[in-house]
Amino acid sequence: MNGALDIVTAVLLIAGGLFCVVGGIGLHRFSEFYQRTHAASVTDTAGAGLMLLGLMFQGGLSMVTLKLVLVLAFLFFSSPAIAHALVKAAHGHGLALELDDPGRDGDAAG
Amino acid sequence: MRPGVLALLAAVWLSLSGPYTVHEWLILVFGLVSVGFVWRLYLALDRAAGGDSEFFRASSWLRLPRFLVAFALKVAAANLHTTKLILTPRIDLHPRLRRVPASQKTSFGQVLYANFITLTPGTITLDLRDDELLVYALDAESEADVVDGSMDRDVLRLEGGSD
Repeated sequence: MNGALDIVTAVLLIAGGLFCVVGGIGLHRFSEFYQRTHAASVTDTAGAGLMLLGLMFQGGLSMVTLKLVLVLAFLFFSSPAIAHALVKAAHGHGLALELDDPGRDGDAAG
Repeated sequence: MRPGVLALLAAVWLSLSGPYTVHEWLILVFGLVSVGFVWRLYLALDRAAGGDSEFFRASSWLRLPRFLVAFALKVAAANLHTTKLILTPRIDLHPRLRRVPASQKTSFGQVLYANFITLTPGTITLDLRDDELLVYALDAESEADVVDGSMDRDVLRLEGGSD
């Protein structure tokens, strides 16, 4: 039983780690600020989420798992707030968005 | 409850199962202080927001599991799609900006929707104004769930709207 749980944890930790690396690669490969924020959010959601989920399997039904759930909840509130603050500040200060079809929809909005 | 009864009950609890060592007393006192501080902070924030904290009625908690499932599935799908975009040999993005309605009634619901969009990789909320979100997306597939309104409905359902 313990062995099976350890395997589940290991798989989740490795998968989470891979998504963190993918986020890092995207951060590097994408060419512009706004696109890079998308790559960073892969690390924030899939990377951190899978790793915390993997740790929960080690915690079992305990206070440790409750705390891990709370960490995940706080992360899922704070990371979009931070990402939004970043892009809104950049947009508000006039950093241009590279768009496929400029001039459509909300482009004029400040 | 009258203060005298409260004090009596507290005294009984403290003598039977309360803190014994200095260390335990410190934890209790610091705990009470921080609970009071956070409660004051919450009241102040609630007042600043115009008392608009009716989002989480008791029934919202019952609908939370279904929302979390929809949320997890959409975030997972968006992560896989964005991973594909990152790892393709020739990066091929079609970034776009779009205004979408946020039909939630409470400001908390709208913020939740905006955060939901930002959390799904491939889409990010640039602005929230006049019940409308300004959403920036990497390509057409990334923004599909935003454009067809299914994420909007997920949050609406949690809020207890007409859906």
